Amino acid sequence: MPRVLIVDDHAVIRRGVQGILSTYPEWDLCGEADNGQDAIRLAGELAPEVIIMDVSMPGMNGLEATRIIHDVLPETKVLLLTLHSSSEFVRSAFRAGARGYVLKSDAENELVRALNVVIGEGTYVSPAIDARALKESIFYNN
Amino acid sequence: MRILVADDHDIIRRGLKELLTSRSGWEVCAEAKTGREAVMLAEQLRPDVVVMDISMPDLNGLEAARKIRKSLPKTEILILTLHFSDQLVREIVEAGVRAYIMKSDADRDLVAAVEALGNHRPFFTARAADMLLDGFVRPHAVAPDPDAVIRNRLTSREREIVQLLAEGKSSKEVAVSLGISVKTAETHRANIMRKLELHSVSELVRYAVRNQIIEA
Repeated sequence: MPRVLIVDDHAVIRRGVQGILSTYPEWDLCGEADNGQDAIRLAGELAPEVIIMDVSMPGMNGLEATRIIHDVLPETKVLLLTLHSSSEFVRSAFRAGARGYVLKSDAENELVRALNVVIGEGTYVSPAIDARALKESIFYNN
Repeated sequence: MRILVADDHDIIRRGLKELLTSRSGWEVCAEAKTGREAVMLAEQLRPDVVVMDISMPDLNGLEAARKIRKSLPKTEILILTLHFSDQLVREIVEAGVRAYIMKSDADRDLVAAVEALGNHRPFFTARAADMLLDGFVRPHAVAPDPDAVIRNRLTSREREIVQLLAEGKSSKEVAVSLGISVKTAETHRANIMRKLELHSVSELVRYAVRNQIIEA
């Protein structure tokens, strides 16, 4: 049973994720953190298969934590769950080593699908992200 | 206790529900995605408490609160926001809302606030209470916010239309959405622009973002 760590500074989002996953018993929510430092510490202790991570958090943000976790635990997949839909943000997320990108507004419908994709070694980008802008941002910046 | 939850994000409603129903005897009787839905459902179901996000499409939480308080004076309202705003505290109280908390503090404050409202007692954090007291004790020491002074010139209908226009709706779409004639919608629009001293839709959008009527 794949284990999931949820990282978000808002308890209401952590409870929301818990609510969504409670209807999918094949996913085991093994821990919670409300900042980047605790996320790194818990990731080391629990070695979850997937981490659902917010971007904007006080202290160390989600991108920084993703970078470090990707370095230390390359097997752990990070799925970012955020309010930001700009293609620049998505690009930074994948550069940091994230494997998936889901918007909070679409979490209810997409979260479990995205979890399945990243655990199957795929990459998930929310369909709400402007694919053309994303491509342009990749080409222009390389 | 019967609670109506209103937020445009499914995952937030889900989280609020989890937090609220952890208390025995508390029931989430309905969920709304917009302020307009919240007003409609509140009038239908007469909940004890409405827990409502401030920024919602179509009709924001503040305007929805005004309408609900008017038709259901016994229903208590809690407003949730992402950021603390001094200006907002006063406006929220003027709208008849008696509890105001940050989304980030929901785990600590939500249950306590709803419990207070259930007993028809207000709930404000120390910071919000300080703001309110300050304005009460020294009404002239608190510099009036120019936007707020101007906003008070608007009628409740006009404030509703400000949001719809800022969301990019045309006069015709505003008319359809509110069940009024296009001509009336256009008159409202002209009055709004005159009263707010704005000259273009992009200025109106900036005004709406600055005043948390819509999200940036």
